[in-house]
Amino acid sequence: MNAIDNTPMLRIEGLRKNYGAVAALQGVDIEVKRGEVLGLIGPNGSGKSTLFDCCTGLQKSDAGRVLLKGVDITGWPMNRIAREGKFYRSFQKTVVFPTLNSEENLVLAGQMSTFPSVLSTFWIGPAAKRRVAALRERAQTLIEISGLARVAHLPAGHMSGGQQKLLQFASMLMPEPELILLDEPLAGINPILIEKVIQSIEHANKTLGVTFVVIEHNTDVLMNLSHRVVVLHQGTKLADDTPEAVVANPEVIEAYLGG
Amino acid sequence: MSTTTLDSPKLPTARIASINWSFCAIAMAALLASPLVLGDYYLHAMVLAMIFLLPALGLNLILGYTGMLSLAQGVFFGIGAYASALMSIHFGTGFIVNLAIAGVAAGLIALPLGIPALRLRDTSFVMCTLGLVVIAQMVSKNWIDLTRGDMGLSGVPRPRLGFGDMVFTVIKAPEYFYLVLAVAALAVVGFYALIRSPAGRCMVAIRDNEQLAESLGVPTWTYKLIVFMLSAVFAGLGGSLYAHFSTVVSPLVFQSYYSNTILIIVLGGGVGKVPGAIIGSFVFVALSEALRITPELRMVMYGLVLLMLVFLFPQGLAPLFEKLSERLARIGKTGPEHRS
Repeated sequence: MNAIDNTPMLRIEGLRKNYGAVAALQGVDIEVKRGEVLGLIGPNGSGKSTLFDCCTGLQKSDAGRVLLKGVDITGWPMNRIAREGKFYRSFQKTVVFPTLNSEENLVLAGQMSTFPSVLSTFWIGPAAKRRVAALRERAQTLIEISGLARVAHLPAGHMSGGQQKLLQFASMLMPEPELILLDEPLAGINPILIEKVIQSIEHANKTLGVTFVVIEHNTDVLMNLSHRVVVLHQGTKLADDTPEAVVANPEVIEAYLGG
Repeated sequence: MSTTTLDSPKLPTARIASINWSFCAIAMAALLASPLVLGDYYLHAMVLAMIFLLPALGLNLILGYTGMLSLAQGVFFGIGAYASALMSIHFGTGFIVNLAIAGVAAGLIALPLGIPALRLRDTSFVMCTLGLVVIAQMVSKNWIDLTRGDMGLSGVPRPRLGFGDMVFTVIKAPEYFYLVLAVAALAVVGFYALIRSPAGRCMVAIRDNEQLAESLGVPTWTYKLIVFMLSAVFAGLGGSLYAHFSTVVSPLVFQSYYSNTILIIVLGGGVGKVPGAIIGSFVFVALSEALRITPELRMVMYGLVLLMLVFLFPQGLAPLFEKLSERLARIGKTGPEHRS
């Protein structure tokens, strides 16, 4: 496994979020170390996805702070967090750009970290062509690694759910990320693709040094994949420990894992 | 919707279909030759079609490629027309200066209008752009010092082009036809360059899934604002051509008829398709002119034809023309083999 650095990559402090009378997050504190794979589990409605949404700027939290590499990113728009923080996320429902093929999906994913400004993307000069050519080359490598070469010419909307999942994961690797949040990456895909996704996560973590936070209901897989596991229950942190300790924790067994 | 299999021979592999250059060359040659065979009336109709092509290109950019329905194209068309008319009447400026100022004025006015409007989404955004049409009508009618109200600005001079000491005034129908053709052709090239650029990829991404684009670092709001301004520039250029063509600009340019015509051109031609607005502008302006033979039933017939088109060609006419050009290209390729 990639060496885990003790410096915090992501630090969540007292995060709160209410949806009307429902308290989705009730002051959650989590620290993610650089280079680790952190598993995030909990029953449906425990606040896992809301936590992702608040960290990545999709939703505004009611209180608390999110620090990325020591910088307070609370309130930043999602695109700035992604571009400047090298911090990306997947969504529970797999999403790709349906009318673009795999290469175009991937070039788009890498574009904003390659071009110096928004205005520079409106001009097709020699410099822009060189940048796009480099992105295409990288995209083709990722298409090969992801095993999508056979369907790469298809508009992504015509690919199967599992293939879209692999494309979505490859998209997040395009801009050379430092931190990725994965929301149920194994949901709805067949066992062969499950293995492929796990390998991709492990490869990105070990070889590229990408830090991961993974929400996943397939606890067997998640316990093997994660260095550490956090359990959320009704918007609060129930446990934060090694996978072995979490599995043996009676409170976690009662609230989520079951007897 | 057609299903696509892995074995399908022809699939849309990129966001932009490749251009059939030979088809473009034939179409351009036909346009260049048309003043030799067509009378002034038909040239007049073709000039109108090419004038409407400009705001339609702008609408295709914002609606077809970025996924936002703006009904305000008529507003920027009118702003371009007024800007051009005012410049030429008060300052006696030449055509190129007027054209440039019309485009810039429409683009700059789109900035403060776009900032609040683009905070809204979907139907709220559409309603907001509809509101802009009403406001523009009111302003043009009541800012009498500038616009002369309902009387409008008459006597807008014909385009004056200066080449060094030579000054050439465009008066005759064929002359105006070539001038508008040149501007429209440049606008089409500009439009194509925009959608081919990396920004064009961002526009399609915003249309396909704005949240995903945002999560990948695309500042979607900034892109939408720039596209809104660019679509206004296209409309402003069209307005300038219109002002010098009709020589009168009145609050009527802001009536919803213009915005509707622009919308029909884009939707009927093929939204999100490069040739969509081009085909739409010629077909629908020609249709409108052809129906003048039955003045009483003209608008009823126009409506009926639109209904038929919606049912027969829900994707607009562009896919039909794309198929036709592909077939022509295939005939061109297989022709010599058949002959040998």
